[in-house]
Amino acid sequence: MTDSVGLPRPTVDIVREKFPRAVVETVEFRGEQTLILKPEYLVAVCSYLQKNLQYTFLSTITAVDWLERVPRYDVVYHLLSLGQYGQGQEGRDITSPPERLSAPTVSELRLKVRVGEKGEEHPTLPTVTGVWPGANWYEREVYDLFGLIFDGHPDLRRILMPIEWTTHPLRKDYPLTGFDLPEPHWGGQVPYDTDPVVGNLTLRTPDGRELNENRSKITQNQEPGTPKKP
Amino acid sequence: MQQQEIARTYTVEEGQAADDGQRSDTMTINMGPQHPSTHGVLRLILTIEGETVLKAVPDIGFLHTGIEKTAEAKTYHQALVLTDRMDYLSPLCNNLGYALAVEKLLGIEDEINDKIKYARVLLAELQRIASHLVWLGTHALDLGAMSMFLYCFRERELILDVFEYVSGVRMMTSYICPGGLQADMPPGFDAKVRAFTDIFPNQLREYHNLLTNNQLWLERTKGVGKLSAADALAYGASGPVLRGSGVAWDIRKTIPYSGYEKFEFDIPVGSNGDVYDRYLVRMLEMEQSLQIVLQALEGMPEGRYRVANPKVTPPPKWELTGNMEALIHHFKFYTEGYRPPQGEVFVRTEAPKGELGFYIVSDGSAKPYRMHVRAPSFANLEALPLMVEGQLLSDVVAAIGSIDIVLGEVDR
Repeated sequence: MTDSVGLPRPTVDIVREKFPRAVVETVEFRGEQTLILKPEYLVAVCSYLQKNLQYTFLSTITAVDWLERVPRYDVVYHLLSLGQYGQGQEGRDITSPPERLSAPTVSELRLKVRVGEKGEEHPTLPTVTGVWPGANWYEREVYDLFGLIFDGHPDLRRILMPIEWTTHPLRKDYPLTGFDLPEPHWGGQVPYDTDPVVGNLTLRTPDGRELNENRSKITQNQEPGTPKKP
Repeated sequence: MQQQEIARTYTVEEGQAADDGQRSDTMTINMGPQHPSTHGVLRLILTIEGETVLKAVPDIGFLHTGIEKTAEAKTYHQALVLTDRMDYLSPLCNNLGYALAVEKLLGIEDEINDKIKYARVLLAELQRIASHLVWLGTHALDLGAMSMFLYCFRERELILDVFEYVSGVRMMTSYICPGGLQADMPPGFDAKVRAFTDIFPNQLREYHNLLTNNQLWLERTKGVGKLSAADALAYGASGPVLRGSGVAWDIRKTIPYSGYEKFEFDIPVGSNGDVYDRYLVRMLEMEQSLQIVLQALEGMPEGRYRVANPKVTPPPKWELTGNMEALIHHFKFYTEGYRPPQGEVFVRTEAPKGELGFYIVSDGSAKPYRMHVRAPSFANLEALPLMVEGQLLSDVVAAIGSIDIVLGEVDR
């Protein structure tokens, strides 16, 4: 990422030039650059960063819940350009002109998207799994713990909490010590009749003998993750 | 509810252990959360045909303890003890990452003197060796070389002795804190570290003799669990997993922190991306870490073990009886804690497992508004299905061992 005299240009300037309508704000704090984007331009900017500016490494995707603010959530992406150390640059679009005049440099970038302007319970935003396949589990984690829905995600289900959990623990209005668990739960028999991940599949040996024939058939009387009703 | 609908739309694909008999020759088995070879509470749902794995789906979350949520309720100094317990095999490295992030947030990075930097590097590299020893012992144990387990843990005891000598605690030391170290390194520290560094080169040679050119080891690990460089980068794999696939990326060299630029060491890089390459990368890393430890020991400067900033460093106990300000600072530090300015930081370090990142958001209060930990094992584990699909069932065990996951940081 260099300008015409070979000096490195900050990524935020390049993105501002290329996508003027996408950038809401840029922030610099303690030497770190943050680019705040509009959700609808997220995938375009990410694609551009990954292909043309060599930000091939997605470190993490997370979210921050600003309870009193509208829009409520910040979804934060941390990117890394490996510069001259990175290989695996297959897939770079060779038809677009290279944006750099000399060797790419190691750079770090933070992208932020603010979602939840309408105050909805489950804000949605586009997925970046098309740009970085590794985003899959990070977006699942954000869905699991915050309740944000990623449009176009191939497999959006809970990853850390049990699959039948109904609330989103990392939200600021979820109490630190949680709610009482419904009874019975985990202490006695398993309170579901289908394995949440395997589904309704009957597990069989090759001879046809059922493997999960001793499933318990207790149903729940309280949704896990919600307060106990009196 | 909408979430449940989204959850239940996930089904295993057509043609796999289906009831209607389309493919009755596949089996979907559970490599359950309790399994000696999953290195923690990891559940893998494997669809196999004979011995070949067709599909592997990891199911995690069994060790989720809500560390990120808990950190929002603790002051910055209290949250330090939470960081030990994520990657519980390398607590000092987690402490270091957290300390660097908080120091950056506070803006006191320039106050960290060379003594603190050298001490942190020394301890972090000792911790890296300890973590790799656990990896080697358990990985070899899984693949049948059982005596390796005891040899590695015997060596690790000497490192844990060093940690106990400086901090009083063998594992969850919380010794590296924002502002420096919790206590000064006592005299005799040098001798304790040398008790380990004197014998370790011989032990490492012995481990190489046992495994590196061993025909059985080669058969189990060469060509197994391949991960290409492009896939590793696309999935965010880091550390020995990324270096084993041929990408020469080590944060200690490329984005140096805590004085690593002053040390001379090499980065081992593999070429094939298989289990054997990752094994060799870690073995050679242990050797390099030993060199760093020796350099740090030789060059350890004198100085304060903690910054002189009274807001970040509580005063020594003997001052409290005579000095009013010391008493007030002590009281405020331990009850309320220091208040960083509003803002956010993300600091990356090279933990033994890979890129460990701490993202801390401060709203100006004494407690972190949000602390997110970028755990290396989380991303490395995401690449597991790529490594094992199409391989044999026993290769799954080899691949899991070679990624070196710690479920404490995967689940947090």
